[in-house]
Amino acid sequence: MESALKDLRYAFRQLLRSPGFALTAILTLALGIGANTAIFSLLDQALLRTLPVRDPGSLVVLEDTGRSWKGSMSDHGGDQAAYFSYPMYKDLRDKNQALDGLLATSPTNLGFLRNGSSKLVSAEVVTGNYFTVLGVGPALGRVLTQADDLQKNGSPVAVLSYDFWKNFLGADPGVVGSNVSINGQPFQIVGVAAQGFHSAIWGENPNVFVPMCMVPTVLPSVDDRLTARFNRWLNIVGRLKPGHSRAQAEASIDPLWHALRAEELKSLGTVSPRFTKDFLGSRMRLLPGARGFSYQRENFQKPLLAVMGMSLLVLIIASVNVASLLLVRSASRGREFSLRFALGAEASRVAQQLLIEGLLIGVAGGAVGMLFAPLAIRALVSRLAGDQTSVAFTTEIDLRLLAFNFGIALGVSVLFSLAPILQLRKPDLTLALRQQSGTSTGGMLRLRRVVVCLQIGLSVVLLVAAGLFARTMQQLRAVDVGFNTAHLATFHIDATLAGYKNEQIPAIYQRVIEMLAALPGTQGVAATNDAELAGTSGGGSVEVTGYVAPPDTSIIIEAEGVNTGYFAALQVPLLTGRLFTDGDTVGHPLVAVVNESFAKTFCGGVQTCVGKISDAPIPDVSNNRVKVEIVGVVRDAKHLGVRDPVKPTLFAPLRQYTVPSDIYLYVRTTGDPAQELTVIRKAMHQLDPALALDNLRTMDTQIDDNLQNDRMIALLAIAFGALATLLAGVGLYGVLAYSIAQRTREIGLRIALGSSRLAVVRLVLTELMRLAALGIVIAIPLAFGLSKLVQSQLFGVSAADPSILLSVTALISLVALVAALIPARRAASVQPIIALRTE
Amino acid sequence: MSKEAKSSSLIQIDGLTKVFFTDEVETHALSGIHLSIARGEYLAMSGPSGCGKSTLLSILGLLDTPSGGQYNLNGLPVANLTFAERSRIRNQEIGFIFQSFNLIGDLTVFENVELPLTYRSGMAASERKDRVARALDRVGMAHRTRHYPAQLSGGQQQRVAVARALAGSPSILLADEPTGNLDSKNGEAVMTLLAELHAEGSTICMVTHDVRFAAHAQRQVHLFDGKIVAEGELQQLLAELEQPPVRIAR
Repeated sequence: MESALKDLRYAFRQLLRSPGFALTAILTLALGIGANTAIFSLLDQALLRTLPVRDPGSLVVLEDTGRSWKGSMSDHGGDQAAYFSYPMYKDLRDKNQALDGLLATSPTNLGFLRNGSSKLVSAEVVTGNYFTVLGVGPALGRVLTQADDLQKNGSPVAVLSYDFWKNFLGADPGVVGSNVSINGQPFQIVGVAAQGFHSAIWGENPNVFVPMCMVPTVLPSVDDRLTARFNRWLNIVGRLKPGHSRAQAEASIDPLWHALRAEELKSLGTVSPRFTKDFLGSRMRLLPGARGFSYQRENFQKPLLAVMGMSLLVLIIASVNVASLLLVRSASRGREFSLRFALGAEASRVAQQLLIEGLLIGVAGGAVGMLFAPLAIRALVSRLAGDQTSVAFTTEIDLRLLAFNFGIALGVSVLFSLAPILQLRKPDLTLALRQQSGTSTGGMLRLRRVVVCLQIGLSVVLLVAAGLFARTMQQLRAVDVGFNTAHLATFHIDATLAGYKNEQIPAIYQRVIEMLAALPGTQGVAATNDAELAGTSGGGSVEVTGYVAPPDTSIIIEAEGVNTGYFAALQVPLLTGRLFTDGDTVGHPLVAVVNESFAKTFCGGVQTCVGKISDAPIPDVSNNRVKVEIVGVVRDAKHLGVRDPVKPTLFAPLRQYTVPSDIYLYVRTTGDPAQELTVIRKAMHQLDPALALDNLRTMDTQIDDNLQNDRMIALLAIAFGALATLLAGVGLYGVLAYSIAQRTREIGLRIALGSSRLAVVRLVLTELMRLAALGIVIAIPLAFGLSKLVQSQLFGVSAADPSILLSVTALISLVALVAALIPARRAASVQPIIALRTE
Repeated sequence: MSKEAKSSSLIQIDGLTKVFFTDEVETHALSGIHLSIARGEYLAMSGPSGCGKSTLLSILGLLDTPSGGQYNLNGLPVANLTFAERSRIRNQEIGFIFQSFNLIGDLTVFENVELPLTYRSGMAASERKDRVARALDRVGMAHRTRHYPAQLSGGQQQRVAVARALAGSPSILLADEPTGNLDSKNGEAVMTLLAELHAEGSTICMVTHDVRFAAHAQRQVHLFDGKIVAEGELQQLLAELEQPPVRIAR
């Protein structure tokens, strides 16, 4: 014990006396550990962690395999096949024999008023059995039960999430039984959900849960949702009966599903044989639900896996770098170890000392990494969240991961600290004690060279990835989305949340549009019920006169309600026909404008589309699909996102919508739109302070948010690439510096024998170029292979882009040259008389 | 040498050989060395460069192993021990004094002297401290315990090295050119110190080039081409070698 303490003291002293080495090794490990822990924590949350509910392994997510359907869809992301109507949910819940319970849920936003303080909160409309099926209890009061969900508008109660209760209501124990106002209607808080539980949907963080029967109150603009069979808006999660497998449950539910589909088909009227075949041929799939359904997981999965791969490479490079530093350092201490052996130290005793030194570096690196990891994860989550109020990720660090990475740091530092033991396995003590410098065998020098080659190679891989993702980001920013995104300010309003009745809503929206258009500096105002380039979409199936869908052709389109000035304000050119006019209102013939893709897909071309009648997925007050006449065709413009292809789209005039909804507004400004935000906010406040502006920002900001995954991955790739290059530079410098020190006498002799200093520099650079070339040659095919794995994440750039490969080769060569500058200079300045005197 | 002398020998070497193999070349560094060192004796080994004296000293100090022959230390055969056994014997029986001091730069004077004792299991910390203090006091370096080697002159560093060799109370002190890196004044001081230690009962075996320093020893051995070519007191040795009383080789 005493000897261990002595070794520890000595190790401390050594680190203090070599601050450059200590700082480099510790920071290298810390960066590797911190970055890895942060990234893997996100990966764990997104892809691995199960819901904090009872027996999550027996949960299943319902999804149907059919591609043909009629009706409208309100989805929040994820697979559209996982959305169902409320009547379908009820049928499945009440008639199935395969599942123990079946819950349905849908996220929304609510206006929440308590004690005179109002707030727009995220919420989930859930079936009464939601908490029972999940097995989640209350932290306070009670959770919702089936009794709360029996009668339409019959149970104005709500349950709060634990986080909302704690963070926004100050953990007020008196909240249970208190009255609040939700969307202007009185509700009673009956309980607070258990701590740690967020939602059955991964990534959702609702503040409030309200029962499904209250949909007419909380979602007044879509009153038909509890009865409309063709309005798909709910996600369904079930629980397997004990001892039943998913396959057994699927087989058991199959007859019911087919019977329900056959019944539903009857009410669809005339449909094509293909539609019938696909509709009836669909099956109900029960997907594993332990991690919950997710709107966002697919979006995060690939970027996170790519970033995780890069982060692992950084950890490997960091480990290799520390190994390299330790090897170089151990080589310079050969004489010290020989002396210790000469004085009677046994190998185990020297190993103990080395072990303690390695542990100290590992612990210090791990400790700094532990400080760094929370900062890194906070920065990442903040990047991922953007302006969103509902954050999919938490900033909590998984201690198991931290411990794992800490273990790697310790392992690497200890393993390579012990390298001198191998070096001194059969020490020539006599020679070592006589030499002026440390001993080093050719084998150890070869190992260090291998290590440097590895560092260069891995850096090349990361730099290629950084180049590809940076180019992807550059290409995405340069994409022509089909409308002019410059000089646009945008925001969202929902008049229902401000207490407007359905019949008042079209008028207030019209007033908003007119008021904005009258502002000085406004060129035009576009309004739509589906935000542009925001990752959301609405639509459904379509039937166009004269069009017969070929097999395997999708008949699903985007459908958007827009104002009269929409196309002019967004500067989407008209190709043929006409745009909407002020006369296109309720009571006049229903019209639509379609985009080029729609015209080419369903009308045989742009010029043949005008005048055709389309069965559009736009519900009227009776929830019947409407027939519209196509009056114009506009140029294609992207809608879902910058990356996503243009879909066939049908635009209908908002003023012909009989079912009002929330709207997204786009104000075309003459000047900088950022400067106009304040003006817009002020004007809206003057119009009606109750109309809360959501996401008021410039269009450029919104596009940035839409590209946040790409931006994050590009940013991290560049950061990791830079870090890896820096580490490779440090490693290269260390080996070259050591190599030069070892060869001082040889270099002195060369100079004494007539070698020029330039020839000495060439000698050093030759060694360097050999190492760099070998690393690059090995890494390029590897980088190419790995790039193919992330091809789907790239945009407008090939995995084998020659300009990127060339740039990376040039950059890494430059870094290598810079790293060699000091050692080369040192070599060239060797004084032969001094070098040879040491012989 | 008589049987009585052999039995009282601290070191007894018979027919010792050392052969180095480099690629296909065999170099006979030592050939049939017979040497005996008695307890309390002060022996100097000299010879031209490459004659094998340092190789012999390394084998005596168990830093290297012979290729053939017998080597008994304190009556025990030590020629073919394992690395660990040799480490233990080195630690307990042998004190080294090197030409280039070989102090560890990151350890203080006290810690350098203490180092071999820390490798000795079962020694109480108090005893260790006491031994270090006495050794440093003995070489006149007690006032520099907290200094680092870089803060000392060459002479002082060598005195610390002598203290480190003494601290373990070894059976023999092996000194390899102990004055080689010192000026004449400091060299003389170290030689005086060794002479005093011998007078106090220490057994010393020293390798040196310098006849002046060899003169401090009781007995001199001269090596040439890996063999002992002359042995005896200095004057006798010089007479045998028919060389002037200056440097034998450099």
